[in-house]
Amino acid sequence: MIETLTGSLYLFYIFAKISLFTFGGGYAMIPLFQSELVENSALLTADEFADLVALAQMTPGPVGMNAATYIGYQQLGLTGAIFATFGTMAPSLVLMTLAVTFLTAFKESRFVKALLGGIRPVTIGLIAAGVIFFANISIFTAPIRNLWTGAADQFGLCWQGCVIFALILFLQLKWKLNLFLVLLIAIVLGMILCRF
Amino acid sequence: MNETVTEDSRFSRLRVLFCAFFRISMVAVGGGLTMLPLIEAEFVEKRKWMTHEEMVDIVAVVQSMPGIIGCNMSVAIGKSIGGIPGIFAATLGMAMPPFVVIVLIAMCFLNYSDAAWLNDAFLGVRAAICALFVLAALKLGKSVLKTPFPIVLFVIAFLILVLFPQLNAVWVILGGAAAGLIKYFCFPAKGEKK
Repeated sequence: MIETLTGSLYLFYIFAKISLFTFGGGYAMIPLFQSELVENSALLTADEFADLVALAQMTPGPVGMNAATYIGYQQLGLTGAIFATFGTMAPSLVLMTLAVTFLTAFKESRFVKALLGGIRPVTIGLIAAGVIFFANISIFTAPIRNLWTGAADQFGLCWQGCVIFALILFLQLKWKLNLFLVLLIAIVLGMILCRF
Repeated sequence: MNETVTEDSRFSRLRVLFCAFFRISMVAVGGGLTMLPLIEAEFVEKRKWMTHEEMVDIVAVVQSMPGIIGCNMSVAIGKSIGGIPGIFAATLGMAMPPFVVIVLIAMCFLNYSDAAWLNDAFLGVRAAICALFVLAALKLGKSVLKTPFPIVLFVIAFLILVLFPQLNAVWVILGGAAAGLIKYFCFPAKGEKK
């Protein structure tokens, strides 16, 4: 019982922390999730984490919250799911309430403007790092890190991943398809191409 | 809200907030921002509880605050339509459908995650998500990376994240915030400071 409680509070803390440092939505969360869950606490492996993000994308609701609910459930059942989900919502509940209450002051604050001037470019860096994270486990056969850590012989391209990546990129640039459809196409292609 | 609003209509506003966010959250696949047009249609166009300008202001705040976008959105809209109770009505409505769906999936999925066909399917999804991230970075990059300062920050952040995966990403974000403050207050560009 006590273990469940401390575990749940830990989940709450981790997800509140991730959420507090997420600017501009779920895509920028990947490196944070990775730091907290894969590197720091080893709750998940990189592969498990990637599948989880995929699942969170395909299901309704905010991606970050979906991921928290899933990890919470996986770790500690329903209690864990509730604490983790509530953790992701806690910073929003406090900070957004303040921001909306003082909307005019917030909008004209030079301090906020200055902070965001530095955070916005970094957010794009986080998303770009997310690209590398997913490339490592789909279009490459091993993390690209191997190229400069002396294990370059283990590095290669996964042709199925490359084909799907290029195709989806092309489809999205040409016609902006519904996200659900895109992921459905990717699933079917993955299942067909991996037969060869 | 003014005094003419009766208890009854206040309660019905809360109910509408809850139901609308419940419905919107159920169909918004792929993240908080996909909720935006649906929220606008419901509260600005259909019910006229907010003006388009108020909505634009709120979206600006939502995107500049940390947190889950869908949750920021439900807090902001709930607050401006129904005060503090509105926050809870809207946020509860927003959070319930995904919570139930994910718990159901987690119950089933934990037992099947070793199936080979599932791994093949997920390889496809990972590659697709990789492409979606490229597009998101390009789109944001186009609007933010226009001058040398953000470009340099972006490159440094990206390199640190890729070269030092052990480093907690929180530090990179704090570093960005510090750089923004230093740039703004020590080296203000023309027109930025009075």
